[in-house]
Amino acid sequence: MPGPPLEGLRVLDHGHVWAGPLVGLMFAEMGADVITVEAPARLSGIDMGGLSAAAVLGGTDNPTVDDPLSYHGLGRDKRSVTIDLGQEAGKTLYKRLVAESDVIVENFAPAVMPRLGLGYDVLSEVNPGLVMAALSASGATEGPWRDLVTYGPSLGALYGLKSVQGYLDNPHPREDRADLDPTAAGHAFFAILAALEHRDRSGEGQFLDIAQGECAVQRLAEPLLDYFLNGRVASTQGNASPRLAPHGIYRAAGDDSWISIVVRDESEWAALLELAGDGAGALRQDGFADVAGRLAAREELDTAVEAWTSGIDAMELTESLQAVGVPAFAVMGPAELAADENYRAIQMSGAVVATPGGFGASEIYQGVVWKLEKTPGRINAPSAVTGQDNEAVFGGLLGLSETELRELAEARVI
Amino acid sequence: MTETPLALGGFKVVEFGDFISSAYAGKLLGDLGADVVKVEPPAGDSARRHGPFANDEPHAEKSGLYLFLNSNKRGVTLDLEHAEGRGLLRELAGWADLVIHNQRPGDLRRWGLDYESLAAEQPELVMSSISVFGHGTPHEDWAATALTATAASGLARYIGDPDRSPLWLPYSAADIQGGIHGAIAAMLALRARKSTGEGQHAWVSIVEVMGTTLRGDSLPQYIYAGQLRGRNGAHNHSFYPWQVAAAKDGYIEVITMVDDQWSRFMELMGNPPWKDDERLENRWFSSEWADELDAFWHPWLAERGKAELSQLFKANHIPFQPVHDVSEVAESEHLAGRDFFQDVEHPQAGSYRTLGAPYRLSLTPWSIRRPPPLLGQHNDEILGELLGHDATELASLAEMGAL
Repeated sequence: MPGPPLEGLRVLDHGHVWAGPLVGLMFAEMGADVITVEAPARLSGIDMGGLSAAAVLGGTDNPTVDDPLSYHGLGRDKRSVTIDLGQEAGKTLYKRLVAESDVIVENFAPAVMPRLGLGYDVLSEVNPGLVMAALSASGATEGPWRDLVTYGPSLGALYGLKSVQGYLDNPHPREDRADLDPTAAGHAFFAILAALEHRDRSGEGQFLDIAQGECAVQRLAEPLLDYFLNGRVASTQGNASPRLAPHGIYRAAGDDSWISIVVRDESEWAALLELAGDGAGALRQDGFADVAGRLAAREELDTAVEAWTSGIDAMELTESLQAVGVPAFAVMGPAELAADENYRAIQMSGAVVATPGGFGASEIYQGVVWKLEKTPGRINAPSAVTGQDNEAVFGGLLGLSETELRELAEARVI
Repeated sequence: MTETPLALGGFKVVEFGDFISSAYAGKLLGDLGADVVKVEPPAGDSARRHGPFANDEPHAEKSGLYLFLNSNKRGVTLDLEHAEGRGLLRELAGWADLVIHNQRPGDLRRWGLDYESLAAEQPELVMSSISVFGHGTPHEDWAATALTATAASGLARYIGDPDRSPLWLPYSAADIQGGIHGAIAAMLALRARKSTGEGQHAWVSIVEVMGTTLRGDSLPQYIYAGQLRGRNGAHNHSFYPWQVAAAKDGYIEVITMVDDQWSRFMELMGNPPWKDDERLENRWFSSEWADELDAFWHPWLAERGKAELSQLFKANHIPFQPVHDVSEVAESEHLAGRDFFQDVEHPQAGSYRTLGAPYRLSLTPWSIRRPPPLLGQHNDEILGELLGHDATELASLAEMGAL
């Protein structure tokens, strides 16, 4: 069986926190040799955030530093080396590594790599086929937002995503789950694959200036075009659609139990009414007979839908709405997902899983999302300990002697 | 002068789906140079009916969402419920390197347009399938939209107020995310084809794609520790502070994981005595007292406007940012400096402004080279010239409703 499609590519991953290392992980899952490059002083994944595995598992009171849980999701299937890029010997070593690599992914502030003397102009002389992707917040070119310090959620605020995330009756935005980072990472991975396609054809590498905000703001095409066309400024959107109603998440029977329901056309509305039966009289008003009426009386409609759904078990109602072709699904929690046969079937597809054990008996990783039926991705190594591959990479790959390695370590270059 | 090269120039793509996910995948490919033919039903894609419309007047050629999603594509109409329509789609697939779609697996099989059927005649073909519940899974044919996917993935559970309904990510963001990964799956399979010489079927499930947005904290905490988090309104309780707080004239995103940044915020407020409050010693656990801690600094924030706060935070390297509305994004000096927004000329919609490049490739730049197609605009060009059907044939196909 052929290997995964990115086998044979080498990627240097300078990612920190989330978006950067997520791009590295995508390469790793599809077979590339991904090497994380970190400063020798830094503990593994220290700035990736989140409670540490040790704290959560063992209840220690030192939860913040090494080994955060998020790192275990993002650090797997990568090798790890340390290089102090501030030292001349570190820069030299790094350039040797760049010469043996295909891709660099970094999400430092735009000034960092050029200031180190390691900008694309310098590195492409070492390796003309190099594809270097710089994932900054707002882009590498001059401008008032270039040097702002941000996290995904505050970048989402800056680029307007937050302003529409909340309830229709309250303009105060509700907090997210840092979903900007995966939006940016997906765009970046796609763009790098396109740049590699160009390299395959021409031999040329190139520099990718990727503003994460400009990736994420693609999600706001509707309200931005509405602003350009009509001067309208969107506020918080709730779960509403401008075209469909019902379109919402409604209370189901039980504690914090909810179901999403969408009605796309009048035949689905008729199917819902038939399912609801005589008990749901409030849904049968004349005003709800067509979608224009339902959109005009959205609040009243949602109240009537919820009066019906709130007495029914969410999964039971999911099944019966799906049986009549209406888009519906319970709002799942992790326990429900773990027990969901469909979710399990999705996750088990499309990756060769070698159940790597980072710590504890059975670490569970999320699956590889791209299901390539002939050349699947892979999950086979737990998160690396920082610097664990110095010898293999600097010695094995670059051919440094043991003495050289020892000297570099003593000088704190690696 | 040589022409600017296109990274994906020469890739032939057929996109047949509806609404956002497969259209966004087709756009990503087309905007970097692929030759994308969009197949719509004779009644048109539902994005044509979605809006926004200028003056709120619906028009099939003027929907903002459709215009955004379909740059750089040629368009044909085919009725896949019609045998001749399906035959033409098979012919088009014969021309293509890649077909990308968001149809349900059962419909594909019913039409004889599933991967196995197409690949039997054309083993080099790549198919990328985007769907909510996956392919070959128990619920593969269940009805779904982006809202359904956001609920089914678990993501919605974490957004909103504890006592109110969970929230989706507005404007069908789950479909955009599914489209990105459908395009990635296509690129991966096209790359694999270079070494194997064979095409293959690749698919993504939007439920799983959205589930991976939880890999940062919520899911691992459940997997490892059985901890269940809920919704916390304008807060995220993963650490403190991570919240949307009120300024005098709007809102500010207040978030930091780094102690130096938090200390600079304390300094900015004049190092108030409560900065040494023991509940702030370890901010990974401070959310338990979020209300009391918020009360220390919310008044300071509420006395100041967004513009003043932005300047203060920028000058002091504090990662808090104002919540901009879409007008502030649209009129941003920064985005203007990057020529981010693009004006496109369209034969019916006139000149309209849309979003620009999500990434800047130095040698093979993103570009809009062609406006979105009118409904059936390229039927003659594609079905006639490319596939070789003469005018009489096309006329009779149109008459029987296949186009």
